[in-house]
Amino acid sequence: MRLTLQEDLDQLEASLQEEGELVLRSLRGSLNALVDADTELADEVIAFDDEVDARYYAIEEGIQSLLARQTPVAADLRLVLAMLHDNLHLERMADYCVTIAKLTKLVEGIAQDATLLEGFEEMGRRLEEMIHVALDSFAARNLEQAESLVHLDDLVDRANRRVVGHVLALGGDPERREWGLRMIIVSRCLERIGDHAVDIGEQTAYLVTGEFREFTDASHPGGPPGTAPREL
Amino acid sequence: MHMTESAPVRIASVNPQTLFETRQGDRPTGETLFSVSDLKVSYTGVPALEGVSLDIYRNNVTAFIGPSGCGKSTFIRCFNRMNDLIPTAQVEGHISYHGVDLYGPEVDPVEVRKRIGMVFQKPNPFPKSIYDNIAFGPRILRMQGSLDERVEQGLRRAALWDEVKDRLKESALSLSGGQQQRLCIARCLAVEPDVILMDEPASALDPISTTAIEDLMHELKRNYTIVIVTHNMQQAARVADMTAFFSVKVSDDGKRRTGILVEYDETPTIFTKPADKRTEDYVTGRFG
Repeated sequence: MRLTLQEDLDQLEASLQEEGELVLRSLRGSLNALVDADTELADEVIAFDDEVDARYYAIEEGIQSLLARQTPVAADLRLVLAMLHDNLHLERMADYCVTIAKLTKLVEGIAQDATLLEGFEEMGRRLEEMIHVALDSFAARNLEQAESLVHLDDLVDRANRRVVGHVLALGGDPERREWGLRMIIVSRCLERIGDHAVDIGEQTAYLVTGEFREFTDASHPGGPPGTAPREL
Repeated sequence: MHMTESAPVRIASVNPQTLFETRQGDRPTGETLFSVSDLKVSYTGVPALEGVSLDIYRNNVTAFIGPSGCGKSTFIRCFNRMNDLIPTAQVEGHISYHGVDLYGPEVDPVEVRKRIGMVFQKPNPFPKSIYDNIAFGPRILRMQGSLDERVEQGLRRAALWDEVKDRLKESALSLSGGQQQRLCIARCLAVEPDVILMDEPASALDPISTTAIEDLMHELKRNYTIVIVTHNMQQAARVADMTAFFSVKVSDDGKRRTGILVEYDETPTIFTKPADKRTEDYVTGRFG
């Protein structure tokens, strides 16, 4: 039994879960700042990203050291490779939260649209659920649970697609239009966070099965090439 | 939107397969050199290894790994009938070589050992000159052609020529351990074998000599088929195209331990997603 290797793997996995908790806090903070037009909180979210980054670098360095010293193979190797990807996915999620916080500051003082904000709140709740599912299914090596992320992401994608219509309906007032355009980027950020959660699910599937596979194929959204494409 | 005709053509001309072409040589060629079926080896009636079936592919490096007592050294000795030299050893089952029964009555074991050479764990040069070590085999076998050329070619193929060309008359025992091992490989190559069997060829060598032997295996597999037994799993991962994992089966009463083949596959598969839990436990160090 390779005790050092197992301890190192356990520690890295625990750090990854903690990084996930930090991302959840970042997401909640960025949404609260947006909905409440709280620029102070937005600044906190921006500063908080340093903590996520510190965790990200610590995990990267830990993986580098583990690869150099322990040369993991088989399930251990797959775990290390999956953690390498998951670490980056979580760090990217936190970056999107920072972008939302920055956009919140840019629209300070402009009247908001309650319907759109309710939609973002709903997307946020879905994303929190997705991040929990992504982290839990990884920890439990639960393939079925990881695959369920695709369906949860469909709801986020659908909400994102409706945002443009709402923004167009805001009218011609220049300030409202500016706010609306910035909100399209917010929506895009939330949608991307969902994609990264699905990517973590794919890493779980790789860890469990050893097969590289995308849950959904962006190039062929309706199925294999030649079939009718799904609505984008 | 207007599209120039060249645009889709340019994308179509990018073939991602070309990125991986250099890896083609790492894969089994598919041409079977040895075919082993249901092999069993016993010493004084006690089975040391049983139920082994696998194919060895030409111009591949094939590694046998497994814990002590799993029968991997016993197995590799079957390929050039070295077990014939042990009076108590009995080999059952079937090994074909180029489609011929290796243990058939018409097969000459000396001819077998000429075509299927062996390198051992501890370098074992003769207490003679470097030149005579290499020349020994061709002389005994009365091989045609220039002996000097044979010696030079053997030493060149074993990547030793540049280090010894000015001291061919010196004793082979004056060479370092790593050089002695390459001398043994050169001695093996001088009789123009088809296959080189290596039983722990680098386990007595320092890391630099080990690298030299591993690089040599990589070069030699262009012209030869190599089978290696190693305790060093990372060595198998580095050099082998195919890897077989052997383990030990313990009888119900705990008295008898027999080697068995657990899993045989392409090396990347063995070290990334082995099919058998026992292989997984062994390669990840969770054995025992």
